[in-house]
Amino acid sequence: MNSAEAAKTIVDGLKRAGINFVATLPDINLADLLREVEEDRDFIHVPVCREEEGIGICAGAYLVGKKCAAIMQNGGFFNSTNAIVSTSLQYQIPLLLLIYYAGDIGDRTFSTTGSMTEPVLQALGVRYYVMRDTGGAPELIKRAEILADDSKRPVALLLTKEVLGRRPSLQLS
Amino acid sequence: MKRFDCLRALAEVANEALIVSSAGAMTLEWNYLRPGDGNFRVRTLGLCSSIALGMALGLPDRKVIALDGDGSLLMNLSSLATIARMRPKNLIHIVFDNEVYEASGSKKTATGAGTDLVSVALAAGIKNALWANALDDFAKAVAVALNAHELCFIGAKVSTERTEVPPYPIDEVENKYRFIRHVEKTAGIEILKRHLPASYD
Repeated sequence: MNSAEAAKTIVDGLKRAGINFVATLPDINLADLLREVEEDRDFIHVPVCREEEGIGICAGAYLVGKKCAAIMQNGGFFNSTNAIVSTSLQYQIPLLLLIYYAGDIGDRTFSTTGSMTEPVLQALGVRYYVMRDTGGAPELIKRAEILADDSKRPVALLLTKEVLGRRPSLQLS
Repeated sequence: MKRFDCLRALAEVANEALIVSSAGAMTLEWNYLRPGDGNFRVRTLGLCSSIALGMALGLPDRKVIALDGDGSLLMNLSSLATIARMRPKNLIHIVFDNEVYEASGSKKTATGAGTDLVSVALAAGIKNALWANALDDFAKAVAVALNAHELCFIGAKVSTERTEVPPYPIDEVENKYRFIRHVEKTAGIEILKRHLPASYD
């Protein structure tokens, strides 16, 4: 599946999970996904300047009845931690975090960011799932949304290059 | 100008508006002047404007008023650019600027050293942004904003004086539930849907 098809599949999953409000900040690997989000009139889409804003914006939208997701890179997730702790967790507000996993195994960039991503999620007590199979993405998104709603906490889905249709197979010599 | 007097003027006209306020003495003063479940207290410094933006976008037929502070807004200046970009017609962003981190020991903020938050808001793209430096001006600006169907930003230079009022009566989780129930009742929508099975599945 190429990145455009993967983006459509993930957005379809968000919609089938009932997500109708999305805050985003770009990463090149999220480009197709964010284009799909932006063009889809079923979402209220808020492009933020800093990811922590998005945690607050989604909290406010949740309080008035929206089902929210925030899409960002893992560096942006680090930018968001104070809001996740003292708003999302302190007030018990559900939120779906779709985090591009920069520095994942096989990447040439951001290995330090990658190495800290899962430990920080664990430290925050935010349950997370690493997504590698695009075909299974809609079901996993729905299950994550159910978990967020039931636990009244953020749940993170780590978007790898595989699930985004952006990792060609390595040419092994 | 005293913040408490401004808040009293606002409380007389705020009616059904949802109020999002940055934690600190201001929130206690507001809750004393207009107690009720339509008040949401923010605990993350900086996030008041963002939470209010999310509410305004999610419930576009309802006025949402952010009661922000200078220290808080300075921590999240980029929210002004996002608010300007989204331009919700039902959002009123009020900043009480006393030029100190009042809740954190009253050290001077950047506004005390010259940063002009109304100029920042204007430069960020919020067209209706003005200073109100006397109580009459503040009351007038609030009345105009409540009747306008457009995004408004009001800066209010206030003294560091606090008014003795009772502590906030509820914790964060109770605040959340009461606020949501209030929105459900007053907006006629269901937010907390019941998914629980009849028995354990």
